Amino acid sequence: MTDQASIVFVVDDDPSVRRAIKRLVESVGLHVELFGSAAEFMNSRHQDIVSCLVLDIRLPGVSGLDFQRQLATADIRIPIIFITAHGDIPMTVRAMKAGAVEFLTKPFRDQDLLDAIQVALERDRTTRQQEAEIATLRERFESLTPRERELLPLVISGLLNKQIAAEIGTTEATVKVHRSQLLRKMGADSLPDLVRMAGKLGIPHKAA
Amino acid sequence: MLRDARLAVFPNHPAMEVLVLISSNTTLTGSYDYGEVARSILIAIAASYAALDLAGRVTAARGRARAAWLAGGAIAMGIGIWEMHFKGVLAFQLPLPVVYHWPTVLAAFAVSVLASALALYMVSRQTLGRLEVCFGSLIMGSGIAALHYLNMAAMRLSAESRFDIRIVILSVVLAIVFALVALTLAFGLREETRGTPWRKIASAIVMGAAISAMHYTGMASATFIASPIAPNLSRTVNFSPLANFGVALITLLVLGAAIVTSSAERRAKEEARRINQGLEQRVAERTRQLTAVNEELRREIAERQRVEDDLRRSEDHMRLVIDTIPALVWSKLPDGSADFLNQRFREYTGLSVEEGLGEGWLKAFHADDPASSVDAWRAAFAAGKPFELEARLRRADGKYHWFLLRGAPLRDATGKIVKWYGTSTDINDRKQAEEEFRALIDAIPQQIWSGPPDGSLDYCNAQWRAYTGLTLEELKGEGWQRMLHPEDRDRVLKAWGESVANGTPYEQEERHRGTDGQYRWFLARGVALRDSTGRIIRWYGTNTDIEDRKRAEWALQEAQAGLSHVMRVTAMGELVAAIAHEVNQPLAAIVTNANFCLRQFASATADSGKLREAISEIVNDGTRASAVISRIRALLQKRAPERVAVDINQIVQEVTVLLRRELTRNRVSLRTDLGPDLPRVSADRVQLQQVLINLVMNGIEAMRMASDRPRELIVKSARHPDGVLVQVQDSGPGIEQQLAARIFEPFFTTKAEGIGMGLSISHSIIESHGGHLSIVPVSQGALLQFTLPAISTTLHD
Repeated sequence: MTDQASIVFVVDDDPSVRRAIKRLVESVGLHVELFGSAAEFMNSRHQDIVSCLVLDIRLPGVSGLDFQRQLATADIRIPIIFITAHGDIPMTVRAMKAGAVEFLTKPFRDQDLLDAIQVALERDRTTRQQEAEIATLRERFESLTPRERELLPLVISGLLNKQIAAEIGTTEATVKVHRSQLLRKMGADSLPDLVRMAGKLGIPHKAA
Repeated sequence: MLRDARLAVFPNHPAMEVLVLISSNTTLTGSYDYGEVARSILIAIAASYAALDLAGRVTAARGRARAAWLAGGAIAMGIGIWEMHFKGVLAFQLPLPVVYHWPTVLAAFAVSVLASALALYMVSRQTLGRLEVCFGSLIMGSGIAALHYLNMAAMRLSAESRFDIRIVILSVVLAIVFALVALTLAFGLREETRGTPWRKIASAIVMGAAISAMHYTGMASATFIASPIAPNLSRTVNFSPLANFGVALITLLVLGAAIVTSSAERRAKEEARRINQGLEQRVAERTRQLTAVNEELRREIAERQRVEDDLRRSEDHMRLVIDTIPALVWSKLPDGSADFLNQRFREYTGLSVEEGLGEGWLKAFHADDPASSVDAWRAAFAAGKPFELEARLRRADGKYHWFLLRGAPLRDATGKIVKWYGTSTDINDRKQAEEEFRALIDAIPQQIWSGPPDGSLDYCNAQWRAYTGLTLEELKGEGWQRMLHPEDRDRVLKAWGESVANGTPYEQEERHRGTDGQYRWFLARGVALRDSTGRIIRWYGTNTDIEDRKRAEWALQEAQAGLSHVMRVTAMGELVAAIAHEVNQPLAAIVTNANFCLRQFASATADSGKLREAISEIVNDGTRASAVISRIRALLQKRAPERVAVDINQIVQEVTVLLRRELTRNRVSLRTDLGPDLPRVSADRVQLQQVLINLVMNGIEAMRMASDRPRELIVKSARHPDGVLVQVQDSGPGIEQQLAARIFEPFFTTKAEGIGMGLSISHSIIESHGGHLSIVPVSQGALLQFTLPAISTTLHD
């Protein structure tokens, strides 16, 4: 199984370990890129494709855990699999809380690493799809007129056209026109569909 | 005013009968006859001079002469003063005839004489106190004032005299002041017998002027008012100018006579006294000479007497001396039989002359030590040389005392011994002190010995004899060498030989065999006693048992070695994560590669090239893991240190690998600055690793405390004159100056959980390698460094 649209980044200061991981992961048809340190990783350009990061905890300069935090701060959401030659529970807890996919202790079982990589890539893929969807919805939301944006919370709250007209001080007929425009522009098939979209965009219901 | 007019008639003085018509209550204006005034002053001065002169005279005189001078002087002076006043009164002329009541005049004269007598008496005394002079001047001043006013009162005229009381008081005060001045001047001038009389004359003028001033002040106090009442003219006398002149002349003559007599007398006395003094001196001189001659004679006589006595007593004395000196004195015939024993000898031994003579005195020797007494005694006689020996002699009460016997032969012209003379001195106290001292030397828990300059031994105390079980005879000379441990023998004899040859103090640790055949460690010390020229007289020394100390030292060394190992294990415990990491890293690679291989075998398209690659990496990583493990095992092994030639940079690198995780965990950046081409050092690899781990861990921990600065650790190696230098510097808070001296002490720590052994052990490790571990003051952080000698230098040693 070869997935051209995904890549596995490995950051470990031990070249021997790096090479072994690359060999293993490539044997399952994944692309692998190797880095000796966090800085090396940050300084290189990456394709914006589905990816995950196999990160050694102990690294020269910035440690793996610190690097995880730095990525989060920079809003780089890449799934991380930690590997360490010597891990302890507090370290594991910290890594997992910060959103790590897996925490593996060296020497690890090959299948564990490969499974973790699959999970991580899947997670990244999902995240990327969700992000793409939200980006589309945001784009549609941006195309709405101010009046339509005003109407949206009221519509998703389940108010009748008459009620909405009273609320915003216009005629029921006008509301009706705006409402159909809103559904069309947002690409919603039905009211429930619109409600779901609004939820993704984080728009709150307008209480009557 | 005729009604009040009266004729003043002086019936008794027909010559002076005048008619004066004066209206009553008219103030009579008087005028002065200035000639008289001048004369009165002259008389005052003359009287003053006489008084000053007489004061000296009265002072010098004694007994009856003094009384006579006092009386005569008082009269002369009294006349002078009185006359002056009287003349002063006469000088005052009123437009009325004035006569004088002579009894009052006489009374005034008497007062004058008394006041003068008082004044002369006062100033002629030995001392003149302040109180006395005040009192005297009060009396004298009052007397003069009295004289003056009596003179005034003697005036008889047809007028009423009134006195202005203020001027009267002023005149009295002046009289007293004048008296004070006069007394003081007279007292001060009374001794002035020689030299110019100018001072005296000047003083006389001042006094005369003062007397006159007083008088004329007194005169000024009186105002005469014409009165119709005729004055009582009984017993009055009128002074004709001639009489007046006569009285003045007489006065001056009297005064002159007094002064001249006084001076002449004084001069004569003065001369007589000088001659007298000269005579007396000469007599005294002669008397002294005579006394001296006498004394000399007496001494000579006494001396001659004494010499004669001495001669006479000489023989008695010699006998007395021989009998009383605190020694037994004897003389013996050449065969040894006694022919004289002094009294002390007889008293001490209780032997009579008969008993002691001949061979009888030998009975006094102690029966128990024939070797040291009678035989030695006989041998000494046989030798015919002066001898000295110690022996115990029996006292009359049966007690024995130690004696020093000394004898010397007397030979005749042919050299034959005629006689032996000798003394026996009681040395019992000295002997006892020696015994006590010896007991002390034997009681001290120390082996003590001494010997002649040649390095042999001739004395050792009981402690040494008891330890070795050897007698003094056996130990004497070279005998002591037999108790040396065979392994120490050459070293000890060589060192002792050097000390004996050079006179340097001896100090060696050596094993001595005890009575049980066991050896114990001793610290042997010896020092040379020298005479004033620096020549060695004797050697003195001690052997101190240091077996227990030695054992303790070994125990301590072992304990420290053990502790060092414990520290190492503890450090490893702290580093267990690092160790695990070091091992797990290659293991991870191995497992991963092995899995890859398995997968390759499982798949149909096995790539043999890739397989070979993976397998060779597995081999490499396996070797790597094994190396890590043996390194750790070496570090934890407890074994004797092993010195090999090591490259210090390699050790630094090994340690940094081991500590990498610790550095990362504590976010410490490590910088190594390793000098190229460093000489190799002879060291125990593990121990050096331990030292470096310790220094680096200390640095890491120091920086853990400080969060406000970058944590940087620098490990540097460089060439050093001694060999190599290794420095470990951190950027922590540094070490306080006052603690710097103590950080190498065992159990000293600045860490909350430290036990304070790390640096202490590191220090002893470096020292044992012939290097030096020290702290170097730096502005920031702490810098510890150690040096190690290069192998080439150690070989030269």
